[in-house]
Amino acid sequence: MASIARCLRVARPSARFAVVSASRTIGVRPFSVTATNAIRKYTKEHEWIDLSADKKTGVLGISEYAAKSLGDIVYVELPEEGREAQAGDAIGAVESVKSAADINAPISCKITQVNLALEEKPGTINQVPEDDSHGGGWIAKVQVTEQGLKDLEKLMDSAEYEEFTAAEGAH
Amino acid sequence: MAFALRVRRALPRRNPFTHAPPAQTRAYTQYLSRPVQIYRSTSTDPYLNLSIEHHLLQRSHPDSTVLFLYTNRPSVVIGRNQNPWLEVNLHQLRQGLPPPPSPPPKGSADDPPSPDSEQEARRTPIALVRRRSGGGTVFHDVGNANWAVICPPAAFDRDRHGEMVARALRALGVAGVRVNERHDIVMDVNDDGHEEEGRAREDGRAGTGSGTFKVSGSAYKLTRTRSLHHGTCLLQSANLGRVSGLLRSPAEGFIKARGVESVRSPIRNVGVGGEVFADAVMREFRRMYGESAGEGGVVVIGEAEALAAEEVVRGVRELRSPDWIFGQTPQFTFSTHPTEEDPRERPPMADFLPYGVSLHRASPFPPALEPPA
Repeated sequence: MASIARCLRVARPSARFAVVSASRTIGVRPFSVTATNAIRKYTKEHEWIDLSADKKTGVLGISEYAAKSLGDIVYVELPEEGREAQAGDAIGAVESVKSAADINAPISCKITQVNLALEEKPGTINQVPEDDSHGGGWIAKVQVTEQGLKDLEKLMDSAEYEEFTAAEGAH
Repeated sequence: MAFALRVRRALPRRNPFTHAPPAQTRAYTQYLSRPVQIYRSTSTDPYLNLSIEHHLLQRSHPDSTVLFLYTNRPSVVIGRNQNPWLEVNLHQLRQGLPPPPSPPPKGSADDPPSPDSEQEARRTPIALVRRRSGGGTVFHDVGNANWAVICPPAAFDRDRHGEMVARALRALGVAGVRVNERHDIVMDVNDDGHEEEGRAREDGRAGTGSGTFKVSGSAYKLTRTRSLHHGTCLLQSANLGRVSGLLRSPAEGFIKARGVESVRSPIRNVGVGGEVFADAVMREFRRMYGESAGEGGVVVIGEAEALAAEEVVRGVRELRSPDWIFGQTPQFTFSTHPTEEDPRERPPMADFLPYGVSLHRASPFPPALEPPA
């Protein structure tokens, strides 16, 4: 996801605040609660990835902030199952308001499953972009490579990401 | 989408353009790291121009700002996630454009009129193109000017460069030009019946009279490091009267599709020349970003030079392929009768066509439908 903070302010002046409050409820998952809870990290390009407790698999999607900035998503070009991607590779795209925006791999990984429900209801990404459950707006499930685990260290946790988007929206 | 990706990989890597002369000494690629760049293409090939544009998007320095101006020969350009069968009258497209009316023969009136077959041969072909950016279907010809601005994503704003082009048009004396809520450039016209010569007179129905007319669309492509905003401005197109028919598919009443549908807008020419328009847009661009690189601030890209980049050649090959133009169509169903999924009453069909047909076209194709590698 590219950052498109400025059009967000024009189209939806209150969206940033909505994002901040929403990411508190959806994005923050203190993994001290139970051992099975995932670790969630964010990229500067507004993708998120959940790492499973055994650090072998993950789920990825685009952030609430990105979904709000992009506006109504009308089509999702899903990644190709089985594809092996390096961190930063364009693996799919979403279309909204005449924009085709690339979805990039947050870390090096292999795509094992894609969220086919988004083909029928691309708007799910606007409603629950950071939901990795059945019916959520997640985009793909992946196998995490060794390089992927290293890539993960460079990403932001939810508090850092919240700060990052607040700064981006303000400049 | 996986289907086309797999097919693309199966294509032979042979370069059909190996006979192209090597790049000239001052290749345009040397400017890609400059902070402000302006390029113009001398080609009117829509596949080549879009591939040059994509090359600039991928290879220009992440912090640079780039303006690219070009003109295409007659083409219908659909958005990245559109359905050509739904957006375009493909039969009309394949017939091409009729030749412009020739001046009356100077000799005697006894000269026989040219036979129909000759007229047929002189029709101008129309290219069908799927671009990489989002949005709806548009028509291009040599009476349009295409403009593209590539900038860092942090600076991206859906209206900033539409406003730039609108200012350029106003500076040329085109009144009533503004960017609307759909990010299109429109012209408010209050026609008292004394319309200026050259303003969309070609179109007998749409494009005359009072009202608001679209003169340039907008579409965007956002990558990890760059954002692209491009549009096509109707300057002096002689074919405006044909656009509506070309962009109306006879299959519309039979197809239920996923993906993106176009929004119809009445259109009109702004009535300025291509060079005058380009100069005005470049002036506004430099006003925003400062002096541009290259001799005289403009880098001209010729066809041979563009094709010297392997990436551009690959881009052209991909954009020209049926796998891209048709194969990248999102899932849709064509049905000759009302179905549960699409209960609309169907338009009347010709007698010779079969009734009771329902075709489902999935994307990605199921493996069984994949052509052999």
